[in-house]
Amino acid sequence: MREIKKGLKFLSSMAFALVILGLFVLVCIAGSVIPQGEIQAVYESAYPGWSGLILGMGLDDVFHSWWFILLTLLLCGNLLGCNLVRVSPLVNKMKAKTRPLPTGEEGMHFHGDPEKLLKEMGFSKWEAMEGGRYAIRNKIGFWGAWLTHLGIFVIILGFALGQIFTVNYSVFGVPGEEKPIGDTGLLLSIDDFSIELRPDDTVEQYTASLTLKNPDSGEQWSGQTQVNHPWDAGGLRFYQNSTGWAADMAVYRGEELIQTDTLCAGEYRPVEGQPELIVMLRAFYPDYTQDEDGMPTSASGQVVDPGYLYMLYYKGELLGMNVLCAGEKITVSDYTILFANPRSYTLIQIKHDPFTWLAGAGGLLLLAALFVAFYLRTEELWLVPEGEDWRVFGRSRKGSLMFREKLAAKLEEGSK
Amino acid sequence: MNFLLVEKIFFYAAFALYAGAMALFFLFFALKSEKAGKYANALMTAAFVFHTLALAARSIEAGRLPLTNQYEFASSFAWGVCLCYLVFQWRFHFRAMGAFAAPVILVIIAYAALQNKQVRELMPALRSGWLVLHVSTAIISYGSFGISCAVSAMFLLREKMSASEFWQKNVPDGKKLDFISYRAVSLGFLFLTMVLITGAIWAEQAWGSYWSWDPKETWALITWFIYAIYLHLRISRGWKGKSAAIFAVIGFVCVVFTYIGVNTLLPGIHSYA
Repeated sequence: MREIKKGLKFLSSMAFALVILGLFVLVCIAGSVIPQGEIQAVYESAYPGWSGLILGMGLDDVFHSWWFILLTLLLCGNLLGCNLVRVSPLVNKMKAKTRPLPTGEEGMHFHGDPEKLLKEMGFSKWEAMEGGRYAIRNKIGFWGAWLTHLGIFVIILGFALGQIFTVNYSVFGVPGEEKPIGDTGLLLSIDDFSIELRPDDTVEQYTASLTLKNPDSGEQWSGQTQVNHPWDAGGLRFYQNSTGWAADMAVYRGEELIQTDTLCAGEYRPVEGQPELIVMLRAFYPDYTQDEDGMPTSASGQVVDPGYLYMLYYKGELLGMNVLCAGEKITVSDYTILFANPRSYTLIQIKHDPFTWLAGAGGLLLLAALFVAFYLRTEELWLVPEGEDWRVFGRSRKGSLMFREKLAAKLEEGSK
Repeated sequence: MNFLLVEKIFFYAAFALYAGAMALFFLFFALKSEKAGKYANALMTAAFVFHTLALAARSIEAGRLPLTNQYEFASSFAWGVCLCYLVFQWRFHFRAMGAFAAPVILVIIAYAALQNKQVRELMPALRSGWLVLHVSTAIISYGSFGISCAVSAMFLLREKMSASEFWQKNVPDGKKLDFISYRAVSLGFLFLTMVLITGAIWAEQAWGSYWSWDPKETWALITWFIYAIYLHLRISRGWKGKSAAIFAVIGFVCVVFTYIGVNTLLPGIHSYA
C-alpha cells in the first residue's frame, strides 16, 4: 500500500512532469526530423541500417504510436494528480483570513502610518493579526498554475476525443457532378467551381458552390466554400481543400463510342470490355511547353495549348506514355482514346469534429490561466508592531523582487 | 509615392542605426564611457523609429501588415526584439541591456537584409484575419525570448565581471538580471501560447484541422515545452541564476531554429512562412 501511495505521489509530482516534458521534446524532435507516414522503401533508402528500428519503434508515425499515446496519458495523469493534490491547500489558502509570516526573513523597519502604507501598496482592506496587520490581494493568483494545468488537460481531452469521434471525408469532382459523402447517405453536388486569378496569374481565391442533399429526408442546403471560409451545412463543415485539372476521356472501338468518363489528373480508368487495358491521366499542362531539359511544363495557368500526359498499362505493364496535344489521340489495337474539355476539379474536405469546442475552451482557459499566473500575482503584506514602529514583511508569488523593491521605496518615503 | 523606396531607405537607416548603437554599446563597456551608453540608447530608440516607419511604408505599399514571408517576418522579428528591449529598459531602468540586445537585433535584421524584399500578393490560405493575430503575437513572443536570452547572456558574463566597479554601477545584480530574464520568459511564454492557439484556430479554418503535426507546429510546441520546463525547474528545483540563464539561452536557440531552421531544413505546410 505504501509503495502504491509512493508511486502515485511520484506520478503526480513535478519531477515526473519534468521527465514527461523532456520526453515529449525528444519525441517531437524525432517526429519532425524523421519523415512521417512514408512507405517502407523511403526509410530503407534514407536511413540504411536504421529503417528496421524506425519502423519497429513506430518512428514512422510517432504521433499515433502506442507509446506516444501512453506518454500523453501519463501527462494527463500527472496534470490531474498534481491538481487533485493541490485543491485542498489552495482552498485553505483562499479561506484563510491571515497567513503566517514568511520564514527566514528579517523584514523591513517602518516608521509611519500603516494604513497609508497599505493603501499606497494597493491593498484596500486588511485583517488584524496579533496587534499587527495582514493584507492580501489578487488571491486568484494562487490558482494560476492549477488553472493552467486544467487548461492543458482540457485541450488534450478535446483533441483526443476529436481524434476518436471526428468524421472526415473528401470528395472531388468537376462542376455538374454529384457524389456520395462516404457512408453518410448524403450527396454532394458540385454546382460550380471557379478560380479567381489576379493580373499576374496568381490565385486570389478558390470558390466552390455546393449543394448538400439528404435523399432520405429530402432536405437540401446550398452554399459556397472558399479557402479560409468553410461552409457549415447538415452538421458538417466543408473546406475548399485543393484543386487540380480534370478532362473528359472518350474511348472508341473502331468508330463506336464505347466509354466517356471524367478523369482528374492522377486518376486512371480501365477500358470498358478490356479491363486489363488501363488509361491514366498522369498530369495536365494547360499551356503546354517543354523546359530546358525537354520535360513537359506549362507556360501559364491559362488553358492556351492543352497537353495531356497519359500513361497506358496493359496487364500491369507500362505500354506507353506521352503528352497528347489538342486533336491528338492514342491508338491501341482497335481502340482510340481522346482527351478533351480540360477544366479544374475541386477537392472538398468534409469534417465533423464534435469536440473542437472543448479543445478551444481548453485553449481559452489556458490563456486566461497563464495571465492569472504571471500578471495577477498574489501579493501579501504583514505589519508587525515593533515598539512604536513596525516591521514590514512583503511577499509576492513570482514577483517578490520587484514587490520588495517597491515596498522598500514606499517605506523610505513613508518614514520621512 | 514609391513606398518601397521609402521602406528601403528607412530599413537601411534603421540597420545602420542598430549597428551604430551596437558599436556605441561596445564602447560603453570597453571605455567605461557613460556618455557612449547614453548615445547608444538614443540610437536604439532612433533605429526603432526608423524601423517602424519602414514597416509602415511596406504596409502601405502591400496593403497589409508585413508579416508573411521570410524578409517581412525577420524584419518584424528584429522590430519585436527592439520593442521588448525598449519596454524592459523603460520598466527596469536598465540601459546596459542594449549591449546584449543590439547584437541579437543586428543579426536578425542582417538576415532580413539578405532575403528577397519583393512584395507579393498573398496566397488564399494566408488571406485571413488570423494571420495578423498569429504572427504579431509570434513577434512579441520571440522578441521577449530574445530579451531573455540577452539578459541571460549578461548574467553569465556578469559572473566574471562583477568585480568591476563599472559593471556594478551599470548592470543590475545577478538576482535582478535573473528576475528580468524570468519576466521576459513569462511574457514570451504567454504570447507563444497565443501563437499556438491562434494558429490552431486559423489552421482549422484554412486546412480543416487545428493540429497536423506539421514541422513548424511541432517545433513551436517543442519551444513551448522547453520554456515550460524552464518555468517548472525554477519552481521545483530552484533553478535560478546560472542554470536558468543557460536554459534561457538554449530556449532562444530553439526559437531561432523554429523560425529559420524549420523553414529551410524541414519543409511542411508552413513553408511559405
